This record gives sequence, structure tokens and C-alpha cells, in this order.
Amino acid sequence: MQITVSLHGVFRIDRFKLKVLEYPDGSSAQKIIDELQIHAKLLGIILINGTHAKAEDTLHNGDTLMLLPLLEGG
Amino acid sequence: MKFLTTDPVAHPEKILYRRGIVNLEDGSKTFEDVPCSNLEDVLGGFGRSFQILEKRSIQSAYCPENPVIVNTGLLTGSSAMTGLRTYFSSYSPIKGSQAGLPAAMWSAGSGKFGAKLKWTGLDEIIFENRSTTPVYVLIKETSHGPHIELKPAEHLLGLSTHDKIMTLQKQYDDAHFASIGQAGENWQHVAMGSVALSTVNQLKSGEDKMRFAGRGGMGSMMGYKNIVALVAQSCDKNTAITETVKKVHTQVIKGGGAARLQPIKRGGGGGTWAAYDVMQPFNAVPINNYRPQGNDLPEELFRENVEKSYDIQSAACYRCGITCHNYISEKNPNGSRGEFIAKFDYEPLNLLGTNIGIHEAGQAGRLIQLCDNYGMDAISLGVTISYTLAYNEKHPETPLFNGANFGDYDKIYDLICQTGEGKLSHIGFGSMRLSEKTGDTDYAYHVKGLEIAAYLPETNPGYCWAIAGGHMSMGSYGTLIREGIDDVDSWVKVITEDKLHIVGFDMIGLCKFFDITQGIGTQKIVDCLKSDFNLKIKPQDIKDAVRRSFILGLALEFQQGYTKSEYCLPNEVSKNPNPNIKLSNISNHDFMKELSEKVWNVFDDEITSILDRKR
Repeated sequence: MQITVSLHGVFRIDRFKLKVLEYPDGSSAQKIIDELQIHAKLLGIILINGTHAKAEDTLHNGDTLMLLPLLEGG
Repeated sequence: MKFLTTDPVAHPEKILYRRGIVNLEDGSKTFEDVPCSNLEDVLGGFGRSFQILEKRSIQSAYCPENPVIVNTGLLTGSSAMTGLRTYFSSYSPIKGSQAGLPAAMWSAGSGKFGAKLKWTGLDEIIFENRSTTPVYVLIKETSHGPHIELKPAEHLLGLSTHDKIMTLQKQYDDAHFASIGQAGENWQHVAMGSVALSTVNQLKSGEDKMRFAGRGGMGSMMGYKNIVALVAQSCDKNTAITETVKKVHTQVIKGGGAARLQPIKRGGGGGTWAAYDVMQPFNAVPINNYRPQGNDLPEELFRENVEKSYDIQSAACYRCGITCHNYISEKNPNGSRGEFIAKFDYEPLNLLGTNIGIHEAGQAGRLIQLCDNYGMDAISLGVTISYTLAYNEKHPETPLFNGANFGDYDKIYDLICQTGEGKLSHIGFGSMRLSEKTGDTDYAYHVKGLEIAAYLPETNPGYCWAIAGGHMSMGSYGTLIREGIDDVDSWVKVITEDKLHIVGFDMIGLCKFFDITQGIGTQKIVDCLKSDFNLKIKPQDIKDAVRRSFILGLALEFQQGYTKSEYCLPNEVSKNPNPNIKLSNISNHDFMKELSEKVWNVFDDEITSILDRKR
């Protein structure tokens, strides 16, 4: 299945901003996070098709996965 | 402090703090060891100062009976990382109720002044009445205990916060400083004066790298009392860091809350500035007076764009491993670091940058620097200016002041100078009063008279119950963006249980980045208190004390004439919802009405019990 992966903030460093990537059917957000080697302590927000989601949530063909760093005050 | 017990909950009276009271009218000073009344007294900061303010009946901030209380927290100057906080408390000249009464307020700042003050042997100073002539206050450690002197300060008048500090540094070795700028000196016309606190970096480099107790006009209160600076002179008393505290520090640095703040080269997110990257995908970065337009303009201040033209240096406070802030300097033609401009933190960067239509990093940095040197609160100043610019956009035929528009750098620069010099009191007294004068109150972005932080009110209904500014006294500002929580009952829990605990850091002497997600009712704090003071205490006891202090803050608001109708967001967010924000609408009338009823159902009895105690 094809997943559009959108990265933000420091996750873009040495990776990319936006890419359409191929994953096996039934893949979770966690699988993609692991493959991209995004550190759990920095990961703050997971959005699937613009809705807040959990790492264990399953993705479907054509979904957009957005990964953002933590937001903890200014 | 003196510890005659290991149990601060059962026997707070066996813990005594050292207080100096200075009568500025006649110059007299008294010193006393004060037995703590409760755990809030032991923890310190606003937990103690609000109990003092509670006993005063103050009708106007600028009156001799309104004290300025300068104190520290239990862990200020201890071995605990971030233990640098100084607190300034008073009835505020800028935050006030519609009844016209000033609100009790505190403001916190880091820098090394707090530790130096603690090391003089004093935990608290109360300044009563006012001096007839400008003075600075020398607080020093002697073999006979702490000593306080009032010194003539005419030579410091008219100097910036930074220049006052650098002038005093030439005279006092082994000292740190708290100063006001021209804004605080012009207290009659500027109610948003801040207090600058010197840092090790600043004193070593000679560059204006200060920290600020910015909120609530505590610098204006110092100006009213004719105190232009404080000098704390003492030997450093750094205690050895035990293995227990080392383990705590490791948890702090590697913990989730601090991870984003670490420098990028250490695998972190790059400081508070990184909030831009997280909020922009939701169109939630405030722009042009809190009205995101759904465009990519905020991205011009993303780090990746700024570093093309400017030098960025990660930096830390004294003995802190979090390294949360970034210094921006000019970049020389050969790529080396040039002249220092400013510290980039999210709040001032947004409110003196994107939110006033300034998208060029150097210009935003210069406005932050200007604000810091005049000694004004970047939040109150930025928001009052953004209100002015919004008014001018809506009323091009009859603009305010110099007719500045969003992005008009030169005119905005001029507005800041005029405000800092006391020539523009309509800005100097904040957005609530300015909007009441113009009659356009809907888009004045304050809550209860104090300008809100750089998080859209559409994302944070918790602003209404913040007791001392929306990001230092109610930690709910990221909840919708971070977690997507958009139901009323969850928000009731966020406000009444989870996020009010952020105020604990403004009691104990630590920065909120020590553990922003959990607050101070944790095993980490328990371990630090046991290690440094042999105090035995449970996390729940600390949480209970923090909650009591927060509720006292709400009770003091009612004491000062606030009504429940004033616990509301700026009208524009519900009257004219912004369609560009890509988040659930939790600021509409129905949501806020239900939320308000349920929050007060939780808080009412606790507040009433305090108000009954006072009657």
C-alpha cells in the first residue's frame, strides 16, 4: 500500500519533508516510525489523515501519516 | 533556612526562613527567622508570597501599602539542576479586574541572582512603602549574617537593564544583579515593566544575555518604589552533587519533557523555538494579532531558514544541562559569529515577530533586544502592539499613534522606544485598557487583563483559569495540538487536575523544564529534598500544597473584584471563528459555557473555603 509520510521539525534533518512510500498492507504507524528511526522521546504528535492517532494504529492504502516533535511549552 | 525537623508536613513550624523587611520610607531594616505555617511556606516562591498578599487590602497597585516581595524557592541555590529561580510578587499594575482593583501577581526569572541572594543568607525580602529618591539595594553576606544597604542610584537612571547591570558589576565582585530599565523608571506610563536578572554568560561576555521576570509589571512596581536595581553579593555555595541528585539530573536531561529542548546536535529538538515547527501544520502559529491566515509566512522564522543568514548558538543557564535556549548573532561574511542580537525563545520571537507581521529573523531579534533593554514584558508589549496594528488595519482613516501597520518594522521600533521611554502610556498600560479606550475590545488578546501567551486562545480554554499568565500558571496550552483532546470533560480534568500543577515550579525554585509533564509532585523532587535537606516528604503532599496555592490564587482574584464573567477568552475567537485553524473548535460559546460550569463546580467549594477563612 502507498502511504504519504509528512515529517516536521527536526525529523526532516537527514530525512525528507514529504514522500510517498510503499509499505505492506496492515502496517502500523509504529512500523514506519521504526523504519525512519525516529526517537520515541522526541515524537510528540502522530496524525493520520489529519486526525490525532496512536503509534499502534493501522494504516490503509492512500493514508497520510504526519509525524511531529513534542510540543512542551515556550 | 533553618531545618529543625525532617518532616515539613507535620512540623512546618520547625522550618524557619530568613526574611528581611526594608522600609523604604525611613530606610530601616529588620531581620527575622520566620517559622513556616504550612508546606507552601516551606516550598517558597508565590506559595509563600501570596499568603502575605492575602493579608493586604490593596485598592491600587501604586500605593505604599503594596509590598514588593522578592523571594526564592526551597531548591533555589541547591544542587538541583535549574535551581536558579527568583520570584517577584506584588499586586500588579497591569493585571486587574473590571472592578478596577489590581490582581495579586508573581513573576519568575532565572539567571544567577536568585542563587546569590539565597547565599547571602536571606530567603525573602519585603520592600514596604517607597523611597523618596532612587536607590539600589545592596544585599550582602557578612560574618554577622545578611546585610542590606540602600544606596543612591541617580547615576543609574536612564540606563538600560543591561547597562545598569554592567555598571554595577564594575563596583561589586562576586555579585549578581536584578535591574529595571527605563520602562520601570517610567512606571507612571508603563505598567508592563520587567525585572532583568544577570547571568554568568552576560557578565563574562558583556553582551545583553539576561533573563527576565517579565510578567505582571513587577519592574514597574520596583520603579514605583524607586528601586532601580538589586545587588546580591555572596560567595558561591555550590554543594557537592550526590549520586542521588546525579541520577535525578540524568532523568531530567533524558526525560521526555526536556528532550525537545536539547540542542539538535545532541539529538534534541532545538529549544523552545521549535514550537513553530509543531504548530504551523495546524495553522496555529499566531500571526497578525492571533489570526493565522493559512499560509506559510511563519515558516520564514523556522530554524532551517534563519540559520541561512544568522549564527545560532545553543546555550544553557548556569549549571543546567537542558540547554534550552538559542542565541542569535549576526553572521560575518566569512561565516564566523558576529554581533550578538538576542535570545530566541518561542514567546518573544512570535509576539515580537510573526504576530506583528515581522518575518525576518534579524528584525524580530532587534525588537526583542530593544524590549529587553528597556525592561518590558515581551508578551504584554508584543500583544499590545499587535492590538494596535490590528486596530490600524481596521481603521485606516483614523489609526492609532504613528499609524504603524503589520510588518512596518521602523514604525514598530519607534512604538517600542516611545513606550519604553514613557511617552506612550496607552501602550504601556496594556491591551485591556487600550481597547477599552478605543471601544474595540473584541480583538484585545488578554484574559483578566493580562496579555495571553503565544498560543492561540482557540487552542487553550485553560487561559481563563490561569492565575498569573497563560503559560506559566496553567500548562494546558499544548493540550489540543499535542493530544487532540476536544471534549469538555477531558478539558475539565486538564484544567482542574493536571495542568494547574505547573505553578509548583514557581514555588520550589526550579524551572518548569525540570519536568514540565509531571510538575513537582514527583519522586525526583522528593529525592532532591532528601539529598539536600534531609527532608522526608511524599509526592502527594507536594501536590496538595501546590493545589492549595493555586486555589488561593483564584480566591485572591475574587477578593480583588473579579467576577466569573471575566474568566473568558477574547471575544473574537467565538464571534468570528478562524476557518484556517486545522483543529477542533473548542472555543465556541457552547463549549466554553459547559466547560465553565463544570470547572467552577470543581473549584467553587475550595475557593469558598478560603474566602470564608478570610471573613
